[in-house]
Amino acid sequence: MIRAERLTKRYGGRTVVRDLSFTVRPGTVTGFLGPNGAGKSTTLRMILGLDAPTHGTATVGGRSYASHPAPLTQVGALLDARSFHPGRTAFHHLTALAHTHGIPRSRVEHVLGVTGLADVAGRRVKGFSLGMGQRLGIAAALLGDPAAVVLDEPVNGLDPEGVRWVRTLLTSLAAEGRTVLVSSHLMSEMALTADRLVVIGRGRLLADTTVTDLVRDAGAASVLVVTPDADRLRTLLPPDARATAEAPDTLRVTGLDAPAIGRIAAAHTVELHALTPETASLEQAFMDLTHDSVEYQGAAA
Amino acid sequence: MTTATFPHRVTPSGVLRSEWHKLWTVRSTWITVLSAVALVLGVAVLMGGTYTSGGGDSDVDVVVLTLYGSQLGGICLAVLGILVTAGEYSSGLARATFTAVPARLPVLGAKAAVLGATVLVLGLLTNVAAFLTAQVFLDDTDHAASLTDDGVLAALAGNAAGLALLSLLALGLGAALRSVPGALGAFIGGVLVLPEVVGMLPYDAVDTALRYFPTQAAGVLGSASPLPGAPSAGAALLALALWAAAALAVPAVLLRRRDV
Repeated sequence: MIRAERLTKRYGGRTVVRDLSFTVRPGTVTGFLGPNGAGKSTTLRMILGLDAPTHGTATVGGRSYASHPAPLTQVGALLDARSFHPGRTAFHHLTALAHTHGIPRSRVEHVLGVTGLADVAGRRVKGFSLGMGQRLGIAAALLGDPAAVVLDEPVNGLDPEGVRWVRTLLTSLAAEGRTVLVSSHLMSEMALTADRLVVIGRGRLLADTTVTDLVRDAGAASVLVVTPDADRLRTLLPPDARATAEAPDTLRVTGLDAPAIGRIAAAHTVELHALTPETASLEQAFMDLTHDSVEYQGAAA
Repeated sequence: MTTATFPHRVTPSGVLRSEWHKLWTVRSTWITVLSAVALVLGVAVLMGGTYTSGGGDSDVDVVVLTLYGSQLGGICLAVLGILVTAGEYSSGLARATFTAVPARLPVLGAKAAVLGATVLVLGLLTNVAAFLTAQVFLDDTDHAASLTDDGVLAALAGNAAGLALLSLLALGLGAALRSVPGALGAFIGGVLVLPEVVGMLPYDAVDTALRYFPTQAAGVLGSASPLPGAPSAGAALLALALWAAAALAVPAVLLRRRDV
C-alpha cells in the first residue's frame, strides 16, 4: 500500500506538486497519469525518499520509505532517467545494489533471467539500447522481491514485444498481491494495463478512479441523432438535455440517453434515421480532464 | 515470479561491500590507481638513476626525493575520489544508490572507508617498493639508506597517509559539489594552486598558516628528517585529518538536507 497525503513540492517559487493525496492498493495495477510536466516523477521521487516534500507525507506500508530496515523489499523502483554507471556491467550493477541488503547472487541471476538480460549481463551498460536499459531498471526494481513496484514510464523505448512483456509483468505482479504503480503520459497504454487511475495535472489531483468510471464520469457520453425533423426534436427535448447541431439533419445530444430520446421521438412521431450512442474514448476523457493543465499546448494546425 | 528468501536488511557491512564492489567494477578505478602506482615507481627509478652524490639534490630528504612522483600520483587518486562521489551524480547512479540506502549517510561513510583504506594500503606498498627500487641505484651514493633507518618507514607510511587523506578531501569535494569538473577545479584551484598564490603574500602569519594547508602538511608527513620551520609530523597529520574531516562533514550535512 502506497499512500500520499497532502503532498506538496515547491522549488523556489514554483509549485510542482500541490496538496496531492491518493492511495495505491495492493493487488491491482494503478496507472499514474498526467501530461508531461504534471509532477509525476517528482511525486514518485518523494514516495522513494529521494526528494523531501515541502508539505505532506508519503508512506509505504504505513511508514516512510526511508524508515524501513530493508527498503528494497518494500518498493522496487524504476525511475525516469537512467540510474547506472555506463562503464559497469549489468551483473555488477545489480550485484552492488544487492550487497546493500545482503541479497544473494542467485537472486541477481534470477532477475537477470526474468528481464531477459542473462545473455548480456556481462556487457557494460554503455552499449545497451534504451529498451535494454529499461529492462535493467526493471531488474533492479525486482531485486528485493518487493511488496510494491513503482515504475516511471516503463515502456519508454521498448519495442512492441517489450511493451507486451511489461504489460504481462505488471499484471502478474499485481496478481501476486503486490502494489503496482505505473506512471505514463499515454492514456492508451494505461487503458490496456491499469485497473485504477490516479490522474494529475499541474501537480494537482484531477481524478482517482477506475478506468470505466473515468469514461463515464468524464460526462462526454453523447447520442448522435439523425432526423429530417431536427429543429422540432430539439424543442421537444427536456431542458437539462443539451443538443448541438452537427449538420442540418444531425444533432449531438448530451444529458439524455438513446432510449429516452427514442421514446420522445416516438411519442411525437418524429422520424429518426439514426440513433447512435457514443461513449467518449478513454483518450478523449483524459484529454478533457487534463486539457486545462497541459503545460505546453500546440495550436491546431 | 518466485518469492525469494534471504535475511534482507541494510547493514553497514552490506553498504561497505556494495561500495567496494562498485569501486572495482569500473575501469576508471584501475586506470587512476595503476597510473598513480606507475608514476610513483617511475619517478623513483628516475630520481634514483639520475642522482649523483653531492649534486643539487644532496640536501633533499631521501624519502622526499624518492617519492617526488607521489605529487602526480596524488592527483590521480584525487580524481578517483571525485569520481567515486560526484561521478554517481553525473551517471544517475546516485538515484539507485540512495533508493537502496535511503539513510544516505552510510553510503558516504562506506565510500570514504573503502577509498581511504585502498589508498593507504596501496600507497604504503607502492612507497616501500619505490624506496627499495630507488635504493638499488642510490646504494653507492650519499643517499644510501635502508627501511630501518631513522624516520624512513614513518615517512613512507606518512606519505601514504597523506595520499589517503588528500583523496578523502577530494571525495568530500565531489560529494558536496556533485560535479566531476566542478570538484576537480575546486581541488586543483583550492588545494594545489591557492597555497602557492597565498604564499606570495609578504606576511609571516600567512606563511605559518600555510604550513598547515593540506599539501604542505602531506609534505611534512612524507619526510624522514624534520623540515626546518615545519610543524611536527603529529601536528601535520592532525591538520590534514581535520581538512579531510571538514571536507567530508560538509556533504554529510548537505546529504541529509538536499534532494538527490
